[in-house]
Amino acid sequence: MVLKENTIQLNNPDNLLEVRNLKKFFPIQTGFLKRVIGHVRAVDNISFSAKRGETIALVGESGCGKTTTARSILRAIAPTSGQVLFGSKELGVVDVAKLNGRRLRTLRREMQMVFQDPFTSLNPRMTLLNLVSEPMLVNGVGTHSERVDRVAELLRLVGLRPEYMRRFPHAFSGGERQRIGIARALALNPSMVVLDEPVSSLDVSVQAQVLNLLMDLQDEFKLTYIFVAHDLSVVRHISKRTIVMYVGKIAEDAETEELFNSPKHPYTAALLSSVPIPDPRRKTQRVVLGGDVANPADPPSGCYFQPRCSFSEEICRTTAPRLDELSSGHSASCHRSREVELKGI
Amino acid sequence: MQNTNTSLLSVKNLSTHFSTDEGTVRAVEDVSFDIAPGQTIGVVGESGCGKSTIGRSILGILDRNGSIVNGEVKWKFGADSGTEVDIAKLKQNGSEMQQIRGGEIALVFQEPMSSFSPVHTLGNQMREMIQLHQKVGKKEATEIAIGLLKQVGIPRPEQRIEGYVWQLSGGLRQRAMIAMAISNRPKLLIADEPTTSLDVTTQAQILDLLRGLQEQYGMAIMLITHNLGVVAEMADEVVVLYLGRNVETGSVDDIFHQPKHPYTQALLKSIPSVSGAAEGGRLPAIAGTIPHPFNRPPGCPFHNRCLEFMEGVCDVKQPQFLPIGDNQKVSCFLHHGGEE
Repeated sequence: MVLKENTIQLNNPDNLLEVRNLKKFFPIQTGFLKRVIGHVRAVDNISFSAKRGETIALVGESGCGKTTTARSILRAIAPTSGQVLFGSKELGVVDVAKLNGRRLRTLRREMQMVFQDPFTSLNPRMTLLNLVSEPMLVNGVGTHSERVDRVAELLRLVGLRPEYMRRFPHAFSGGERQRIGIARALALNPSMVVLDEPVSSLDVSVQAQVLNLLMDLQDEFKLTYIFVAHDLSVVRHISKRTIVMYVGKIAEDAETEELFNSPKHPYTAALLSSVPIPDPRRKTQRVVLGGDVANPADPPSGCYFQPRCSFSEEICRTTAPRLDELSSGHSASCHRSREVELKGI
Repeated sequence: MQNTNTSLLSVKNLSTHFSTDEGTVRAVEDVSFDIAPGQTIGVVGESGCGKSTIGRSILGILDRNGSIVNGEVKWKFGADSGTEVDIAKLKQNGSEMQQIRGGEIALVFQEPMSSFSPVHTLGNQMREMIQLHQKVGKKEATEIAIGLLKQVGIPRPEQRIEGYVWQLSGGLRQRAMIAMAISNRPKLLIADEPTTSLDVTTQAQILDLLRGLQEQYGMAIMLITHNLGVVAEMADEVVVLYLGRNVETGSVDDIFHQPKHPYTQALLKSIPSVSGAAEGGRLPAIAGTIPHPFNRPPGCPFHNRCLEFMEGVCDVKQPQFLPIGDNQKVSCFLHHGGEE
C-alpha cells in the first residue's frame, strides 16, 4: 500500500496541493424511499494547483461551489471523484480524497481551517486554553504543561494576551475571536490553512488587522492559504492567484493582478464591475448582470453563464466551453475569450 | 448643512437608550442630521455605532427596553408636507405614527428572509400593507401588488404573489421587500443594510433598482450601511457615526476626498482597494477594537484608537459637533480646539 501511494507525483515540485478533476455531487432525494432524482453538481470537474507559501483565492457568488471545494480539499466531505494531491511532510505525496483512518488523521495536522463566523465556530463553554489546545490534545501532542506553554505562545503570536487563556470566548469581540480561531488552526504547525471567508463578518477597521495578521503569519511560517471569499477587494489584497468559480466550474484562473487588470471571462468582468468602489469621483460603467445564478441541479445548456452573458453566441448555447490556457498561467473557460475585449478594474 | 425649513426630516440631538440588566446602553447619543426631499443620505459606521437604532427611532419601532430619551425628529407630515410633527414625541401606536410608518416613511430590512412571514403568502403580506394605508378592496390591492412586483423586476408576479417568500432567491426577496416598502409611495425610504446579505452582482442590481425608483418617485433614501463602496456610489450626503455619536457629516465628495476626522480618514485607509495597489502590502489598520457599549471611554469615544490623540484634551471632554467649511461638520478637537 505504501509503495502504491509513493507512485503519485506532483506535476511541479513547488506545488503543495494539486486538485485534479475534483467533483462533488449531492444527490437530490425524494419520497419515503429516498429515491435519487438528480444531482446538485456543486463542484463539477475542477483542477488547480497551489504552490507552497502562496495564497490562492477561490471567489464567486453564493452557490458557486467555493466552500464545497475547500471542504473537499480538507476531506471534511468526501469528494465524488477526482484527486486531491497534497505534499505531506510525513506521508509524502498523498491523495487526500482516498485516505482514511490513521493516515488521514496524521495528514489532518498539516491542513487546518479557519471559519467564517467566529461567534458560532468557537464553543462558548470552553476556555481559550481548551479551545486552542484541543487540536493538540486530540492528536496527543505534548504534556499538559507543554500545551499550556504552546497556547501562550500562540496567543501572543496572534496578538492576544496569554493571561486571557482562562477566559471564555464571549468576553472577546469578533476580531479577537477570529484571532482565537487562527491560533487554534496554527496549533499543530500546519503547512496549509483553508480560510473560509475569514474576514467577512468583521468590521472594516478590524478586518484590516486580521488581514495583516494573516499575511505576517504566512511570511513567518511559510503557510499556504486557500482563501475562500466573495469580497474582491480583500482577494486582490491578499492573494497571489485567483480562481473565479461559477456554478461548480472554474470560469477563470490567473495571477491576481492579471485577472483584475485584464479579465478574459465575461463573468469575471461583470463581477469586477459590480464591486462598488469607495470613491464618489470614480463612476464605473457597470455591467449589471440580469437574472440569477444558474441552478446547479438544473444547469442551462452549453456554457452555464450563457443566459446572463452579453457576448453569447450560438456555440455558447450548444457546447460547454473547456478551461483553456490563453497565456502562461492564465486560463478561462469561454468560447469567445480570444475575441472579446473585456475591461478590468 | 440644510436649512431646517427645506429638509424633509430633521434629526436634532437624538439620544436613544436601552435599559438592560447590565445597565443602560447609550446606543445613540446626541446625533443630528437632516435629509432633504429626494436626497440620498448614507449613514455609515461599524457595528455598535447606532446606525440601525437611528432608523428604528425614526420609525418608532424600538425594542421594548429602548426609548428616545432626548432630542427631536422633525418630520414634514401630510401629502403636501404642510405640517411639521416631532416623531420623537408622537405616541408609537397613535394614528399619526401609523400613517407615517409604512405610509410616509418605509423601511427595507437587511435580512428579507427574517422580516417576511414564512407562513403567509407574499400577496397576503403585501395586501395588508397596501390596505392599511389605502382604501382599496382585496382585488384592487392584489392588482396594485402585482404592478409593484413587476416594477421591481420580479418575473411572473401573478404566480409569485400566491407563493411564499422563502420560495424566492435572495435577490428576488430583497426586490419583494422593496416592492412592499414603496407600495404607499413613501417620501422617505430607510434602507438598513439592504444589500449586505447579497452577492456583488445582485447587489449591483438592487442598487440600480433603488436609484431607478428614486428617480421615478423622487423619494429620499436613508441608506444605512457599513459598506463605504455602496455609500460612495449612492449617497449625496454622508453621516459618519462612531459609538452612537456623530463623527463627521458632509457631501459624499468631501467625506471621501477631504475627510476631517481621524476616524473617517483611518476608516477610508483601512479598506483594501479593488482598483489599485498591488497585493502584499500591509493595510493601515485602526489599532484596537470598538469599545463595548458599557465601557465607553471618557471624552471623545475614539480617542483610545486615534493616531492624533491629545492627552488631557481628547480623553477628558466630549468634542462638540460643529461646522467646518460650508457643508461639513466634524466633532474633533483638532478642528475646534479643546478650550471651549
